[in-house]
Amino acid sequence: MKSAGLIMLAAALTLLASPATAQNKPAGKDTKLYFIWPHDGAKVKSPFWCRFGLRNMGVTHAGDEYPNSGHHHLLIDVDEPLNPNEPIPSDKSHQHFGAGQTETQLDLAPGKHTLQLVLGDAKHYPFNPPVVSEKITIRVK
Amino acid sequence: MGEIRDFRSGKPGKPPPGEAMPRRLAAIVAGDIAGYSRLMELDEEGTHNRVKRIERDLIEPTISEHHGKLVKTTGDGFIAMFDSPVEAVRCSIVIQQNMIGRNAAIARDHWIEYRIGVNLGDIIIEADDIFGDGVNVASRLEGIAAPGEVFISGGIYEQIKHKMVCGYESLGDKKVKNITDPVRVYRVLPDAAAYQRTRRRRESILLTLLGLAVAVIAGGVLWYMLAQPRSKPIDVAQVPPSPAASPAVQQPAPSPAPAPGQAASPVSGAAPTQQASPQAAPSATPAASVPEPEMVSLQGGSFSMGSNDDPSERPIRKVTVKPFAMGKYPVTVREWNACAAAKACNFTASGKDDVPVTNVSWSDAKQYVAWLAERTGKAYRLPSEAEWEYAARGGTQSKYWWGDQMQSGNAGCKDCGGGAGAAEQPVKVGSLKPNPFGLYDMGGSVDQWVEDCWHRNYQGAPAEGAVWPGGDCASHVIRSGSWKNDARYVRPANRDNYDANVRYPTHGFRVALSP
Repeated sequence: MKSAGLIMLAAALTLLASPATAQNKPAGKDTKLYFIWPHDGAKVKSPFWCRFGLRNMGVTHAGDEYPNSGHHHLLIDVDEPLNPNEPIPSDKSHQHFGAGQTETQLDLAPGKHTLQLVLGDAKHYPFNPPVVSEKITIRVK
Repeated sequence: MGEIRDFRSGKPGKPPPGEAMPRRLAAIVAGDIAGYSRLMELDEEGTHNRVKRIERDLIEPTISEHHGKLVKTTGDGFIAMFDSPVEAVRCSIVIQQNMIGRNAAIARDHWIEYRIGVNLGDIIIEADDIFGDGVNVASRLEGIAAPGEVFISGGIYEQIKHKMVCGYESLGDKKVKNITDPVRVYRVLPDAAAYQRTRRRRESILLTLLGLAVAVIAGGVLWYMLAQPRSKPIDVAQVPPSPAASPAVQQPAPSPAPAPGQAASPVSGAAPTQQASPQAAPSATPAASVPEPEMVSLQGGSFSMGSNDDPSERPIRKVTVKPFAMGKYPVTVREWNACAAAKACNFTASGKDDVPVTNVSWSDAKQYVAWLAERTGKAYRLPSEAEWEYAARGGTQSKYWWGDQMQSGNAGCKDCGGGAGAAEQPVKVGSLKPNPFGLYDMGGSVDQWVEDCWHRNYQGAPAEGAVWPGGDCASHVIRSGSWKNDARYVRPANRDNYDANVRYPTHGFRVALSP
């Protein structure tokens, strides 16, 4: 009972504090978003395949409101922090995989690049807490 | 070869008598739903509809995205063929991963889970089916696969082992029904972590077995030493196992069978029907006059398309565009909602009437232009990519239509001046300056769909301004950049792409009209 009360209180506080966060879908438990390939520190030749791994949540099409599932977004050389109250941006450094893709072919300029995955919900918002992968650094030959 | 690949269009009995049956090597994917009859018993109509929807939304598009061909669907399964074993296995993994997502929303009892087998074999092709050992082996592999898993044959494994980064677990040679030689079978572990898990599991099983063996031997030795002084060695074999050894042996037995429903059944039993019915606007008046977008006639002519600012915009080439008319503004919420009211467009847009409509997929935009063309009897359509850039440049060759430096008031973007980037919606159409052709928001405001499929650069692009055929048609070109992007994106040469069927809050479009 006590914990239920606390949860209610927390929920109420969250709602009051920032109405925008209310629409972030809850993330699954023990989820893990990660790169199957490449690994952190890998040296690759462009173009190369980049494969996305996700545990304890499912991949679905953008627009599908299935609980506990989302679609991949790949952040290339992005340094700005993610804003949880806005849809994940869409541009050349924020690639969207709204058709449920779990891999992509990347053609990057030679040199160092960072890659990071973010899972987005039906409306492209990050989950709460955000489901993100470790940011990996790769070197393109 | 052309005839062989086109087997679906062939009429039954097409191979003329005397001609050899067409044979070829192909990767065959066989899938079927585990426990289909149980699902049908639970909810016949619901299951049937869900399976049909999965086939339509997931299986068919995934197969064609991976350059395969769906040979047939049976009540509870499908058979597809691929030229490439890698694509066949990728397609299978994509299907399985998508199914995890779809099942997450529903109770364990109602899960639809596919078992998938992939084999490489020489097959006979007929008008609407394929035959041969190769197909049978694929079906048998699918039959022994656990729900949600992909089993592949040794032949496939040999082809893909160095090309695909995922785990493979060898299950050894298996004898399958009606096939003489045993088939080498591998289980595909699409995620590397699962591979680690199985390896760890296997290690721990080995360790447990080793431990058990040691315990049994130790127990035996102990018993032997204790029993020795009192009994003759001959009796040893007949004496039942000693109490010291037996507890160790029994250990694995009493583990209760895990309740299958428990682990996975999610919070809600909500049926996944919500997404099927987009809200249709209650249409009050069947609009007598359609709000037609305002158009600007353009003469056409030659221009240099592309730039050196981004690899996707190269090589720069001369393109000739025929005369056409372009929407003066992006399509607005008011214009869009007339289509929604007529139930010809899938959703009613919210927001002020005079702002560009957003959250529109390429398919949505196509629906609108088809409706507009039908209602008005005019040849409304989406512009081609070349037409869009020609119109956006307005006769200029500079970085932006007004010059090479950013100037406030000419485009609506994050850092174009005016602080547009923070807003939920783009500004009203016509708020900023028009380009030399009198067109507004050709750059910034909303991303704008064009007709063309995506090509990653202009290598091999035509010199005419019509739609460039071919390319990756799962995604289409978007132009203009949006109020959320930075100044690089409002350049007339800037190009990007997005999944054709996915909506995104900054995507809109404008219409074109052939004379």
